[in-house]
Amino acid sequence: MTNIDEGRATIVWLGLVVLTLGSAWLGEGALPAGLTALVVALIVGLKGMLVIRHYMGLGEPGSRLRLAMRMYFFVVPVLILVAASPGG
Amino acid sequence: MDLAANVAPAGVSAVPGNRGIWVGILCELSEFALMFLAWAWFRHVHPDDFHAGPAMLNLGSGIANTVVMLTSGYLAVRAVLAIRRDDAIAARNWLIATLLGGLVFLLIKAFEFRWNVEHGVVGTGNSFVAMYYYLTFNHLVHVVWGCLGLIWAILRAQFGAYSAADHEGLEAAVLYWHATDLAWIVIFPLLYVLH
Repeated sequence: MTNIDEGRATIVWLGLVVLTLGSAWLGEGALPAGLTALVVALIVGLKGMLVIRHYMGLGEPGSRLRLAMRMYFFVVPVLILVAASPGG
Repeated sequence: MDLAANVAPAGVSAVPGNRGIWVGILCELSEFALMFLAWAWFRHVHPDDFHAGPAMLNLGSGIANTVVMLTSGYLAVRAVLAIRRDDAIAARNWLIATLLGGLVFLLIKAFEFRWNVEHGVVGTGNSFVAMYYYLTFNHLVHVVWGCLGLIWAILRAQFGAYSAADHEGLEAAVLYWHATDLAWIVIFPLLYVLH
């Protein structure tokens, strides 16, 4: 699986928690709807990539599995952006 | 670690865990992808329900469950790192901690559903609330499956089935847990954040 060490795993976990709290702050209506959708989409994509790369260990270049998982966390954020933007 | 010798023929690159668990993971994520499409569709058709929806929910429970899932995923990584050092006892203990995270998630969900009923958040006549229950109940089922997988891996670790050289089953249980975490990473903002 992943070649991550304890220190990096802890840093990734802290990063994921901070990104979650950032999302929650956006839920309080801190930003306009369109900007909220954009930031939320970016956060979802980033969190997904972090888990896929560091926790699931899909870091091998050229791996079809890694490509499929990365595509998922590209397409879903785009769906969020389109659906949650004003007029979406 | 060379998993290729265990799970893949010569010349074919190995996957983390085993091929079987990836079939399960891709099926799980495909199922959630369809639900995310349904979320987008119903949001388009019934925008008022979805604009007002997140304010009806208990945001604190959503945040707590997200942090618990992420923390549980971190503890699962520690289990894999421990077995790679050939420390089966530590790996078992990290898996138990991971499982406890899953159980805390379920307890928070139970509290949240009870809170919902007390505050009139029921799935009749509101597209957002119906979508909320479909998504969260479905995810909850996958958390239960993940917990059962972790229990199996804990028992196997307890009886010495895993070592630094052979821990494919432990990795598979952990990978499924991460996939369930991935689904929640998307569900949380869809339901609790995006007004």
